[in-house]
Amino acid sequence: MNTLNLVLCAVAAASLDICALVLILTAYQERNTGKKRWNRMTSFMELADYSVSYPLDCDEILIGRHASADIRLPDLSVSRYHAIMTVSNGVWTITDIGSKSGIFVNGNLIKTIQLRENDVIKLGNRRLVFRRKGVN
Amino acid sequence: MKSIKRCQGLMSLVLILFIIGMVALVVKIYRESSFYMMNSDDLSLGKVYDRNGDVLFDGSGKTEFEDNYLIDVGNLIGDDNGQMTNTLVSRNIKRLNNYSFNSGLVSSGGKASIHTTLDHEANRKVYDAFYGQDGCAVAYNYKTGEILICTSLPSIDVTKGYENIEELRSGTLMSKNMYRTVPGSTQKVSTVIAALEIMGADTLFSKSFSCSGTYENKGGNNIDCHNIYGHGEQNIQQAVENSCNPFFAQLVEDEDFPLKKIKSIYKEMGYTINDDNCGYFDIDGIKCDKASTTLNDPYEFKTQWGCIGQGDTLVSPIQLMMWQSAIANETGKMTMPYLISYTTDVNGKENYSVETEFSDRIFSSNTASTTKQILLTNGENNYSSLISGYTIGVKSGTAQVNEGRNENSLLVGFVEDKDFPIAFCILLEDKNNTSVKTESIAKVMLDSLSETYS
Amino acid sequence: MSNKMTYVFSALFVLIAHIGMLLNIFFNGNYSGVGSVIILSAAVIFLDVVYFMAMLFFKQNTYAIDFLLILLLNMSVIFQSCFGGVRLSVKHYITCIVALASCRVGYILCRNHKWLQQQKKYFYIGIGILMIVILTLTGSRSMWISLGPITIQPSEFMKPLFVLACATSIAEQQNKHKILKFHVVYENFALFGLMAMIFLLQWWCRDLGSLPTFVAIYACGFLLRICYPKAKFSKNKLIAAGAVLLVVAIIGIKFAPSYVQDRLHVDIWSDQSGGGYQQSQALIGIANGGWFGKGPGHGYLHNIFAHDNDIVFATISEEWGLLYALMMVFVILIIVMIPLINPPRSYFHATMATGICASFAVQMALNIFGSCNMIPFTGVTIPFISSGGSSLMVSGLMAGMLIACQSPVFVQTKKPKKKKSVQPVNYPQQQYIPRRESY
Repeated sequence: MNTLNLVLCAVAAASLDICALVLILTAYQERNTGKKRWNRMTSFMELADYSVSYPLDCDEILIGRHASADIRLPDLSVSRYHAIMTVSNGVWTITDIGSKSGIFVNGNLIKTIQLRENDVIKLGNRRLVFRRKGVN
Repeated sequence: MKSIKRCQGLMSLVLILFIIGMVALVVKIYRESSFYMMNSDDLSLGKVYDRNGDVLFDGSGKTEFEDNYLIDVGNLIGDDNGQMTNTLVSRNIKRLNNYSFNSGLVSSGGKASIHTTLDHEANRKVYDAFYGQDGCAVAYNYKTGEILICTSLPSIDVTKGYENIEELRSGTLMSKNMYRTVPGSTQKVSTVIAALEIMGADTLFSKSFSCSGTYENKGGNNIDCHNIYGHGEQNIQQAVENSCNPFFAQLVEDEDFPLKKIKSIYKEMGYTINDDNCGYFDIDGIKCDKASTTLNDPYEFKTQWGCIGQGDTLVSPIQLMMWQSAIANETGKMTMPYLISYTTDVNGKENYSVETEFSDRIFSSNTASTTKQILLTNGENNYSSLISGYTIGVKSGTAQVNEGRNENSLLVGFVEDKDFPIAFCILLEDKNNTSVKTESIAKVMLDSLSETYS
Repeated sequence: MSNKMTYVFSALFVLIAHIGMLLNIFFNGNYSGVGSVIILSAAVIFLDVVYFMAMLFFKQNTYAIDFLLILLLNMSVIFQSCFGGVRLSVKHYITCIVALASCRVGYILCRNHKWLQQQKKYFYIGIGILMIVILTLTGSRSMWISLGPITIQPSEFMKPLFVLACATSIAEQQNKHKILKFHVVYENFALFGLMAMIFLLQWWCRDLGSLPTFVAIYACGFLLRICYPKAKFSKNKLIAAGAVLLVVAIIGIKFAPSYVQDRLHVDIWSDQSGGGYQQSQALIGIANGGWFGKGPGHGYLHNIFAHDNDIVFATISEEWGLLYALMMVFVILIIVMIPLINPPRSYFHATMATGICASFAVQMALNIFGSCNMIPFTGVTIPFISSGGSSLMVSGLMAGMLIACQSPVFVQTKKPKKKKSVQPVNYPQQQYIPRRESY
């Protein structure tokens, strides 16, 4: 093996290495802008309890008592899988998925409804406020 | 988000499994690449040296050898063309590979080598001492395990290549030291060891049996003595020195010497009993036959003959020599012999060096001491003039082969000298057809070794 | 766009990586006239630049996978052009362009997952048609259709469809029906039936090589379904599933047809000229190449059958060095790792990405480990690297699907709109008024 071969291989491999690294960094950069874009797309909304706020990070949010639910409300009055929230065109919708106690939005028992800012959602004994991020 | 995290978890798992596989692959390739190259068409082999730096094999084929340069150890060293499989080079050809994954294939100037423990010059002298008579001789340092002499006849100079394999005499392309042969009376050493283990020295020395030239055993067969006039009443020391067959036949029949125990001690020593498939042990990859014998019934002719060293008993010379080390060391543990003292890789870096290894205890150290004393006395009484200048313990043997038509002569022994600890075994075939004696070969062997080796 | 500079740098470094390889070829390669190197360089750089230009016309959320894809495809053009002497491999170059085009197709088709879910029955129908095509058109139990100079492997095209069929959303899994005492999702049964059909078909066609890919995709889809109603990855269930798989695998191996058995038990070194020829030559090639390779075009493996697909890892290793081949594998891994860095925003896309990840990983594993004799040798291709039109096209399509996962649109399918035209609904800034109920 001659030196030239070795040097050139090392150069080629190094440039590929650096390229891979740069592309990974690009992906990380995109992760940040992706977050912002997601927030914009979903109108910067979140659900809030008394003290906790639940981010709405994906387009299907499952709310329930079960450990695998995206928003977990450990309260016996809440069904295991109580409601699902979906987003479309930047509008969030909440749908009952066979809960025992039903969903009350602003006091009205509903099956499915498009949510508006500051709606109060009552699941069993738990109340959640649908609000804009950054409002406390 | 939990649901998506779950997906990510599963993806990570898949990727991690794959990466683990890749790591395993790289490790495997890195470690086995040398082996892969051995299967390649273009490969470059290094050299084999003896202990003094003489070249015994050159894979590049560039070294010019004199005629008959390698006739002494040629059938042990072998070559790389695939005919001689049970040889040092073909069993260790991987170590000669001038290749490493880091430096690639080095076609010329690679430094892969095997440095053997053999003494080429001494081997040559021993070879010459056979005067062309078939046989073999092996000797090693019983303290360290280095094999110094390992020559076998007939032989050819493999450096010059060989054609017409059919025309070569049988045994030309192998070192007879590694293969089983009839041990003759050298087997009696094993029987003495078994007797000492079972009865203890006091009981054994108190036993005496008489010999009148022949003995009709309890099974009704005759066990003949080589002395047709008989040796009279003997104890074990005299019987060993006389190599008296009737004595040993009676010993085997003795009530204090149950066959079941003999079998277990033989097994400890490495015999395969009542089984045609003897198995192997290996010395640096070279396969060596294990000893084997047939033991059925203490009154049976075949069994007694087996304990005397004829008939079905077969032992390789190298194993006879190894037992001598267990006796000479007075430990009951064999020193394991080796041929490769160290090897170097393609860059000349030492990548393997040997450490002396010992076998498990095959008999007690008391037995070893007593046997050693018996053999030393035998050496002093009968061989001090033939092999002068050394304190040696020996046992000779005469083996009947080809259904009694030919007789081979054997000599096993050791030198009692802490600066010159040599154990050896010499086999001379068809002894009645030559004036060469095993004792004279032993003398040449020890003389040449003591010149170059101390 | 805020990431403009990042993208300029990414493009630059992709070019640098390619130029590094081309320099290596120029100084080190095995070529007769310098013209062939220039043609290759021009082709590669031209494709790079054109693709960067084309990317300007696609408004995507992320471009990392695009850069990785063009990096990888041009790498593979360079690899394939160097086997046994440098000359542009026109066929591979064209298939790479086709792969890039199919990547666009995959991207456009898969962006809207809600729309995709409504098309699910078409995936089943599509796979069904492909299976019928395989059964009827491919001759004598093989997986290939010959159309003049082009051979098509329909089973490859089943992969993206199967990935889509395996993908599911939470809403879909909530759509349960009660049979006797159990709440079940019909779709899961349909998928199981599909898997069984594919299994039988592959068995019948003796193409057990691509079977593990389908099984892996199905296993991912299955795991992400069964674990759903119960908490997380229920350990017991996982162990049970693993045990079942193991038992199935053992039984499968035991009762596998004899030609499979032969492959499982082949000792390649004792059968170097027969069944073990490719693998033993591949391993010797890798050993010959060492870390840094023998130089582009200087290898021997291009004389071996299937050097450019089945044992392509070894061929690249020999010419470019094991280090470089590992880097190449790493780049493919980065493509499937992007969803880990930048998570998809819907479960459907996430399961889709998992299926693609499984498919790529299994294909690479089968190819690389198979050619290196760690597992039985199967004729599976490495995505993006191996030559072969069907495989490259499908790999491109799946990469497009990954890009789609990164740039989803969330619009109702009843009134389809482009994402960009969707104005975020401005919720009226009303005061928060506690209503009838009190806390």
